Amino acid sequence: MIKGGGWRAAGLLLCGGVLAVAVLLSLSVGNQLFGAHDVYLALADFSGSDNDRVIRYLRVPRTVAGLLVGVALGLAGALMQGVTRNPLADPGILGVNAGAAVAVVGAIGVLGVTSLTAYVWFAMGGALVATVVVYLVGAIGRGGATPVKLALAGAAISALLGSVTSAITLTDLSTLNEFRFWVVGSLSMASGPVVTQAAPLVAVGILLALVLGRSLNQLALGDELAQSLGTRVLLVRVAAGLAVVVLAGTATAIAGPIGFVGLAVPHVARSLVGADYRWILPWSMVLAPALLLLADVVGRVVVRPAELQVGIITALIGAPLFIALVRRRRTAEL
Amino acid sequence: MLRTSVVSVLLLGLVAGCGSSATADAPGPGATTVKNCGIDVTVDGPPKRVFAAYQPAIEMAHALGISDRLVGTAYLDSEVLPEYADAQSKAKYYKNLPSREELLAANPDFVLSGFNDVFSAGGGSDESFGSRKSLSELGVRTWIFSPLCPTADGKGDEAIDPASVSMTNVYADLRDLGKLFGVSDRAEQVIADQEKRIAAVEAKVKDAPKPTVAILRPGMEGGGLTVSGGPDFGTVLIKQAGGVNAFADLTSKRNVKIGVEELIKRNPDYIFISGCCDAALTPASAQPEVARILANPAYQNLKAVRNKQVVPWLFANHSAGVRGAHTTEDIAKTIHADLFK
Repeated sequence: MIKGGGWRAAGLLLCGGVLAVAVLLSLSVGNQLFGAHDVYLALADFSGSDNDRVIRYLRVPRTVAGLLVGVALGLAGALMQGVTRNPLADPGILGVNAGAAVAVVGAIGVLGVTSLTAYVWFAMGGALVATVVVYLVGAIGRGGATPVKLALAGAAISALLGSVTSAITLTDLSTLNEFRFWVVGSLSMASGPVVTQAAPLVAVGILLALVLGRSLNQLALGDELAQSLGTRVLLVRVAAGLAVVVLAGTATAIAGPIGFVGLAVPHVARSLVGADYRWILPWSMVLAPALLLLADVVGRVVVRPAELQVGIITALIGAPLFIALVRRRRTAEL
Repeated sequence: MLRTSVVSVLLLGLVAGCGSSATADAPGPGATTVKNCGIDVTVDGPPKRVFAAYQPAIEMAHALGISDRLVGTAYLDSEVLPEYADAQSKAKYYKNLPSREELLAANPDFVLSGFNDVFSAGGGSDESFGSRKSLSELGVRTWIFSPLCPTADGKGDEAIDPASVSMTNVYADLRDLGKLFGVSDRAEQVIADQEKRIAAVEAKVKDAPKPTVAILRPGMEGGGLTVSGGPDFGTVLIKQAGGVNAFADLTSKRNVKIGVEELIKRNPDYIFISGCCDAALTPASAQPEVARILANPAYQNLKAVRNKQVVPWLFANHSAGVRGAHTTEDIAKTIHADLFK
């Protein structure tokens, strides 16, 4: 574990370096390989050539989408783990992304909504409803909302919502293919307008998340102790819940449901910087987009000329970690 | 799911074995047998209760003049050709493919399928009718369009023999079905008409340069694009019309997923938007997708975009079947417009 503020800050810079490499890879690797110079020219001196267009209109929006979605999912996961003191919390596992996806599909399929600025609100609404339902189902029975019960409730609700999403996509045959993306998340739908519309929402989520760091540390001591230290527990919970809904909802509106990033990254961060959320949150915010972008780059090259959705790659990376976490009794009963 | 379907197949097989083995298995004196995709199809007399699944099967049934024997038609990809509109309006229509149970409830003695997936047992689809063998055991004869023959019963699109993708195989199907249904004269008329129309197009475009054509499915499947690869019948039709399928070298499946960047790299002369799947669909339904492609800044260097050669089209057009002549003419009129003035 890295101790001392200076070292943690230095480590954070190093993470920033990793992220920068991931961004560069995401801009240069794909169907064609571009050098850093090509990327620079496409951005600084746009000539309208094939290469410039691929970089500027496909790779750049996709990379920015990866950054936004990664940041959002990393922070949402860390917040969820902190506020529920549940190591298995993740917007994918606890059904938040599935709720957002089903609401978006409903909005597009039933109400005919088409722009991100319109359906992102449905995504947040769906995320909110799913969160509440999963919590209520998980809290039923003896022992209340234990981490494993919540994860099970999340899995069950996710499966249920996923089949509703599939059902809507299947009944609407003519638009079936446009919906496919809502079943497994992908960054390749991203376009300039989509990321520009989504960016302010993610910014709001980031601000909200980062100011909560100290309060989350106190929540970790237990509700009563936190209260005696002057933390307004309910307010912190509501604010964190709001941030999760904004972040996970926006991420899903951009890219569809993507799991495990929000689970894995905060754990990696915690193992490196310890239990202090004032560090876990920024580290997660930098590492999560790096992981997501690298996963996306892998997805672009493994099955050429097709692409594997990033949601599949993150599941491949994240599922073993999830199993390891469940098997570690200590964390499972945190 | 797999387990339950195995059980139900076994149960149905048992029931059938007790009740109808005599009618199902022993060919009578007037029996006719033809081979389809490696399976012997034997009928004692012309089938009287036909179920047609998918557009190509439905249109073929009407073309053969057996519309009055249809007990059900399912899953149109678009409007039927105008010459069949009247007959189709009288047929019972299922918007989605029926389940195996629903299918058997219609009590068909023959299932004609335009695609192979309805009989692919492990296709993971709840819509599967079950393998052809399992239906045969119930006395239901089955037919897959030969240009889509999988290498073994129960397999699907991943196992198409590319050599079978030809108009010759459509004619062979027409002849064989004509024999089974006792409508050989009608089948020969249909073949003669198709051959004549296609030959006329081929003669006209013989010496013209051959533009490349990409057939593109609308929307995004898993975030990429879906194009027609080599085994798709579109490859044959484009060739007959004097063009080249821009993705003919991708031969893993009929419908191949590619990344957007791959389309930019191939830079086809024409992009046909393959609109699908609704009984009321017309080529114009693909117009919004055409507009989206024309407006996408990433595509502005594509020849098809620069020359406004992104064409709203139909999935139904590039399916193997009696649309062959219609589609060959249709493609040729687009990509060799100057020759058809």
